[in-house]
Amino acid sequence: MDHTQELQKALQELRRITGIGLDVQAESEEETEQAVAQIRCLCTAYKEKYNKTDFLQSLLTGGIPSYDIHDRASRLHINVDERRVLFLLETKKMDETVTEILKSLFPSQTKTYLVPVSEKAAAILRPMRAAETADNVRAIARTIVDTMNTEALAHVRLAYSSIIGTLSDLPAAFQEASLALKVGKLFYSEQTVFPYNELGIGRLIYRLPFPLCENFLKEIFGEEIPESFDEDTTATINRFFQNNLNIAETSRQLHMHRNTLIYRLEQIQKRTGLDLRLFEDAMTFKVATMVINYLHAERNQ
Amino acid sequence: MASLSLEGIQKIYPNGFHAVKDFNLEIADKEFIIFVGPSGCGKSTTLRMVAGLEDISGGTLKIDGKVMNDVEPKDRDIAMVFQNYALYPHMTVYDNMAFGLKLRKVPKDEIDRKVKEAARILDLDKLLDRKPKALSGGQRQRVAMGRAIVRNPKVFLMDEPLSNLDAKLRVQMRIEISKLHENLGATIIYVTHDQTEAMTLGTRIVVMKDGVVQQVDTPQNLYNTPCNLFVAGFIGSPQMNFLDAVCNVKGDDVTLTIGEHVLKVPGSKKKALIDGGYNGKTVVLGIRPEDVHDSEAFISNSPDSVITSTIKVYELLGAEVFLYFDVAGTQMTARVNPRTTLRTGDKAVFALDMEKIHIFDKETELTITN
Repeated sequence: MDHTQELQKALQELRRITGIGLDVQAESEEETEQAVAQIRCLCTAYKEKYNKTDFLQSLLTGGIPSYDIHDRASRLHINVDERRVLFLLETKKMDETVTEILKSLFPSQTKTYLVPVSEKAAAILRPMRAAETADNVRAIARTIVDTMNTEALAHVRLAYSSIIGTLSDLPAAFQEASLALKVGKLFYSEQTVFPYNELGIGRLIYRLPFPLCENFLKEIFGEEIPESFDEDTTATINRFFQNNLNIAETSRQLHMHRNTLIYRLEQIQKRTGLDLRLFEDAMTFKVATMVINYLHAERNQ
Repeated sequence: MASLSLEGIQKIYPNGFHAVKDFNLEIADKEFIIFVGPSGCGKSTTLRMVAGLEDISGGTLKIDGKVMNDVEPKDRDIAMVFQNYALYPHMTVYDNMAFGLKLRKVPKDEIDRKVKEAARILDLDKLLDRKPKALSGGQRQRVAMGRAIVRNPKVFLMDEPLSNLDAKLRVQMRIEISKLHENLGATIIYVTHDQTEAMTLGTRIVVMKDGVVQQVDTPQNLYNTPCNLFVAGFIGSPQMNFLDAVCNVKGDDVTLTIGEHVLKVPGSKKKALIDGGYNGKTVVLGIRPEDVHDSEAFISNSPDSVITSTIKVYELLGAEVFLYFDVAGTQMTARVNPRTTLRTGDKAVFALDMEKIHIFDKETELTITN
């Protein structure tokens, strides 16, 4: 009997994972099904026993029970208790070039593991040397980004977790890095490196449920929530905030008479009820615009 | 090599941050152009837009006359050298330089030719078999440059490539990069926050602040005729002295009053003050430290530009001395000959070279006299 498509696929998968080629003689449909099931079991068993990437992929997403981590990691010769940091790199497409560069940056002897996460993202689990600190992690992150820019000519974003001490903390580290990437892209889009420990107020806002955000905006702006301000107004507000609510400095930087700036701020006050010259109102406005951006981004997803 | 044209380039990030505003610049073939400015001024963002690593929010970027806004970075024929370069630790210098070409599936003999040519230009011929850990900081930096050179690009983009090196090595590498520009005849855009680097390397400098181009000119012109207070203060080390002065026009005579000191404005500068209606208004007088003189001969020849003060700090740098003192509550610096007899605590008399003064509008901060 000829091989079914399913059997062929299973055989190909087995060859890909283990390098072993099998010759299957199946006389009936039932036998073919049995063969497919057995080959799949073989693949799974092999992956479990020998494939570090598969193990780490499952571990990242919490797919391995904590009681099993030590045993399986030991079988794969992965140190369980070691200080590590997890980087999460996102690019347009994780193509061969990007993967090759990452492999070359972190050759196998460095005990750094590259774990594909999706078509656009990969995790990099790197051990920390004894003297390395958070500053070193930041430098490594910048190096990864700069190397991707120069060698792959690819725009990348990189988030990283806090430093972990054991593999059991890896799922949490992955969640941290994923959150840092999401929050970073949303609130700090002008940056390319997002450390989990430096997400600021963005971290808080990202955790808020939608109804709470909507109620907050209604409280501030009433029924008419400004989706966005025009470019000039946005630039004026941003600059005013960057200059710590200093009218003289802002008007100078914007090449604008101070009375023009005051007029613009008064127009914003008329529209929103917030006097941005007052710290409390400015803070409310800043948080409100971040919440608006958050809702906007989430709705567009 | 290539010419570039940036017309009304803008960058607005999704969170509303306006990083670059209406950036206009024509870069000629083989030009070495520097983007300089303080951190956050938009210089790196502009470079990344040229590279294609950031989308352009508005305006047009052309390389050799072709619009590049939507062209993929790899198709722009550029090469980059960034600050945080990493050499592949397990590869030799040769392999490090060849790596990018291998990824692009360039034929082996062509890779070999390009790597050896780049190694010759960078004086790395004898180090091709070494691993990165056996190289000095300068040699590593040269390998990073080599990785860009082997691509033989139309444009080199360098973003603070020397920032991670120590001061001595930076000076050496500045010379190397300058030589490299001559040897390659390449168009280079170089980003730095270091005005000394900008002044020594560039054929033209773009000074940026808050996402806005302040002035584009040769290093000499930027130094001699800054267009506003920011450029005047940013270019030059120690920086230009700035003093608030009240302008008085009496007939043909124009004077600037700074506290108890009255300085006579020379003919070459006074017309702009009279025509600009500055009589009775406060302006900002700028003077570079080397134009503040303590020599008796200069002082006796310049009786209308004398100021007096007490020396607060005396700093001997070997070939020159910096003297720090206050005038009308503002600190000033004079760069004088090391043979000066003035010391900390001395009463001092200085004369300003009034032909070299710069006068700025206090409100707009734009130059009045340049």
